[in-house]
Amino acid sequence: MRKLICIFLIVSILCGLLSGCYDRREVDELAYVLAIGLDKGKTNKLKITLQIAVPMAIGGGGEGGGDAEKASTIVTLESASMYAGLDLANNFVSKQLNLSHAKVLVVSKELAQEGGIEGFMMALPRGREIRPNMFIAVSRQSAEEYIRAVKPVLEVNPAKFYELNFRAYRYTGFTANTDLHDFYLKMKSLYSQPVAILAGVGRFDEGQEFDVKGSTFDEKNRSIPLEGDFVAGEITKSGGVKAEIMGLAVFDGAKMVGELDGEATMYYLMIQGDFNNSYMTMHDPLQKDKLVILNIKRSRNPKRDVKMINGKPVIDVKIRLEADIQVLQSGINYEMPQNLVILEKAYEDFIKEGMKRLLYLTSQEYNTDIFGFGERVKQQFITWGEWEKYGWLKKYKDSTFNVDVDLKIRRPGLTIRSSPIQYSNGEGAQ
Amino acid sequence: MPKNVHIKCPESIEGVKALADYKNIIKQLLFFNVPPKDETFILKERESEIKELQSEEEEQQPKKRREKGKIRKITNPCCDNNTGKEGNGGNGGEEDKQNQGAKSPTEVSKKLSDNLEYMKKIYSIPTNGDMVLREFDIVVKNEVIPAFMIFFDGMTDRKVINDNIMQPLMLLSNLDIKSDEQDVESFVKDHILPHCQLKVEKKYRSIIDEVNFGGCALFIDGVETSFVADVKGWEHRGVERPNTELVLRGPQEGFGELLRVNTALVRKTLKDEDLIVENISIGRRSKTPCSMLYIKDIANDDLVDEVRRRLKSIDVDYIYDSGQLEQMIEDCALVPAPQILATERPDRVATLLTDGKVAVMIHGNPFVLVMPATFPELLTSPEDTYVRFPYGNFLRIIRGIGIAFALLLPGIYVAVTNFHHEMIPTDLILAIAASREKVPFPSVVEILIMELAFELIREAGIRIPGPIGPTLGIVGALILGQAAVAANIVSPILIIVVAVTGIGSFAIPNFALGFAFRILRFGYIFLGAMAGFLGITTGLFLHGLWLVSAKSYGVPFMSPLAPKVRVGGYENLLARAPIWKQEVRPDYLNPKDTRRQPKISRGWVQKKEGEDGNGGKQD
Repeated sequence: MRKLICIFLIVSILCGLLSGCYDRREVDELAYVLAIGLDKGKTNKLKITLQIAVPMAIGGGGEGGGDAEKASTIVTLESASMYAGLDLANNFVSKQLNLSHAKVLVVSKELAQEGGIEGFMMALPRGREIRPNMFIAVSRQSAEEYIRAVKPVLEVNPAKFYELNFRAYRYTGFTANTDLHDFYLKMKSLYSQPVAILAGVGRFDEGQEFDVKGSTFDEKNRSIPLEGDFVAGEITKSGGVKAEIMGLAVFDGAKMVGELDGEATMYYLMIQGDFNNSYMTMHDPLQKDKLVILNIKRSRNPKRDVKMINGKPVIDVKIRLEADIQVLQSGINYEMPQNLVILEKAYEDFIKEGMKRLLYLTSQEYNTDIFGFGERVKQQFITWGEWEKYGWLKKYKDSTFNVDVDLKIRRPGLTIRSSPIQYSNGEGAQ
Repeated sequence: MPKNVHIKCPESIEGVKALADYKNIIKQLLFFNVPPKDETFILKERESEIKELQSEEEEQQPKKRREKGKIRKITNPCCDNNTGKEGNGGNGGEEDKQNQGAKSPTEVSKKLSDNLEYMKKIYSIPTNGDMVLREFDIVVKNEVIPAFMIFFDGMTDRKVINDNIMQPLMLLSNLDIKSDEQDVESFVKDHILPHCQLKVEKKYRSIIDEVNFGGCALFIDGVETSFVADVKGWEHRGVERPNTELVLRGPQEGFGELLRVNTALVRKTLKDEDLIVENISIGRRSKTPCSMLYIKDIANDDLVDEVRRRLKSIDVDYIYDSGQLEQMIEDCALVPAPQILATERPDRVATLLTDGKVAVMIHGNPFVLVMPATFPELLTSPEDTYVRFPYGNFLRIIRGIGIAFALLLPGIYVAVTNFHHEMIPTDLILAIAASREKVPFPSVVEILIMELAFELIREAGIRIPGPIGPTLGIVGALILGQAAVAANIVSPILIIVVAVTGIGSFAIPNFALGFAFRILRFGYIFLGAMAGFLGITTGLFLHGLWLVSAKSYGVPFMSPLAPKVRVGGYENLLARAPIWKQEVRPDYLNPKDTRRQPKISRGWVQKKEGEDGNGGKQD
């Protein structure tokens, strides 16, 4: 019995001494980085911007209601690599920096285009602290500018701002879910290429300054920019948070090769099967000066098929959507089945056109398969060696696309039958 | 020798005495003096004890020598003798009593004066104040015979003695009784004493045992036997609500302190002639009456024999409590859970008996032991089966969560805040960081302080007299928590953790299991602080091994979880099946009758012949 007690004591004491609470860190001994920004350095390879949470301002220590301005502190420093930068930063940040709650990695467009993220993208997933579901974003301005522009109004905690803002794609369709893990896998994959959220700082301070130079509506031969014809930083808005996200940065490997605007991003989501729902505006097919808005939802997962014809890939994409009528400005009674077909057809054509524009843009101009069509091609090979030798990513540029969109309008909303507005001078369409 | 004796000496030779005086004074001032003995009473060692000590020393010395030498291994005859003596010494008390019996006769004498003498000696009359010895005369067939009666005041019912024993003996015996009976003994027994529970005893030993337990012994001159009437009538608590196992739905009565009342409560619930109540008395001196209950044609014979064997083998002098008894008959003292279920509820005992278990009751205690117990059973409350089965399952789930909280929550909190920061939402970790900002201790110390304070309040709350108790518990907890937060000794989030843990521990239906979990919780805190989730996982693993390896009366403690059994026990394991689905008794008890009810126990769901209604629901 005495022996047993001795053994028990020795084991328990040794457990304590040997483990020594080895990597024990109290919560209040750590500084939580919420966002990491990477820019091209002036004096060194990288300029690192770290947004660090100030818990006392956020948690409030019982007093409730923190101050959004003071909720985080932003430090910028230049160093050769990310981890070197963290070490450096700890010389003036009193608490040990911890990346386990970093929500977003922002890379400047300049750095991304040069392929400057190669080095640390290889290193990042190795670190234990980095969350695989951290968002990755490309800032059209410098990453530092973007992070400094994040001054949440509705939230106190910037982490919450990132979480909510970057997940808005589920009901807007203007960005995608691009987490670090996904980015990393696609970057190394033989059949797909990564994308990142496009971020930017709003150009305008006041309504008078608005212009649409940055909008893509011109290229699409539209008279006015629709809601999807913008990229981040170009949205005609003032007030609120200056940091914006819209569109996607298209990568070839670790190098950024182009941008997609909001509308193209929506089509990207549809083809990927990640599309949830969003409003879509179009000119009325019967009355061109009026607008129609549908709330579009995914009804089935997309069907994607790749056939090889004469050694060139022919890609079939079949999208099935359903929609609710949201706005019918013209007052035309589209709820009637015979009219409904017209509206459905117009929308199908509209989406099909936009989709083809996007597909050929990626294949012919950017030459990067961000949709992962290669997955379908891969099935046609028997051995991995053959597939590797085939080199799908090179072949993608020769692809031709057949897009089939099937849209069904299911519900008219609360109005069952539209009728035009009546004026005393007899105007009002019949 | 005390020095003051010298000082008091008369001074005969001046010079020498003066010198001696000075010497004494210096001695008194500078050296140690034995303080004057002012105790009025010293509890001295008994002579026999001193002898025992001496013999022990003698015994040890040769042992030591042998150990030093370590050459020969010869059994020491002296040593053997000693161990023999020790064995005798251990039973000293019994021996004394037997000796007493040997000196004087063991059986009732024909002469009343002998009996009177003997009884006076045994009961130390008149030193024993509550002993009543009443001498009187009875008239049998116109013959006056002296008699005496002996009983303990307070333990007996005076009214019964007056009306049913004294009155008939002294008054009614004068009536003309139509009988030719000439023998005084049978005449008294058959005609005069109208008391229902009357024994005729010959041996002093059994008479004394009866009198010690609230009996009344009657000695009559010229009769070689004594009449012992059972007139127990001490003050006791009635049948009240159980204190520990309260339910909303179900019977509200609990066991009391009287053994017979308790057995009656079970019998009242079971109403089965196969329910056996075996009497066993435990304790050499206390002779505490115990009852072993089982259902003859359900409980496994081997199990019953084993319980009987363990009970009979117990050799202690006094035992009064079922808690003491539990510790004497449980399998292993170190398993972190009770291996015998203690309950205050007759309905629970009845249910468990019908499963094929054995219950042991002890006189003077409202807790009844039911064995064997398995771990899943300790997590159930009788109410589970009384409410409809969805509600019962809801209660089970809530309780399960509560138990998990009580055991693991503080450990997990420590592990998460010290090692796994990435696990909790950002907002929460920032809130924890903010709340801990001004706290000077590591979170382990912080949580230990609070847990300790909580346990202290709990323990003190029981001791605090009557009406202040619960108030102080609540006020203490609230104020202590509030003040500790205000003083930045603990963080507010931690108060929530500790409070939830405390509430969770009250959700454990079995009080004894709650104890085990409350203690092990501290182990999990240390493990969590030492190695995070790795530590807690290791702890759970070891805890699981510990429980799985335990057995209660030959039944694996974790059955039917591990090892699995063929049938039975699963319907009421973690979730509960509807009552009509519980068809089979738990297989791990190996009962004689394995089925509780047939496949279709609700006869009405069966279709009547020739009828094809839609009432034919599957059972």
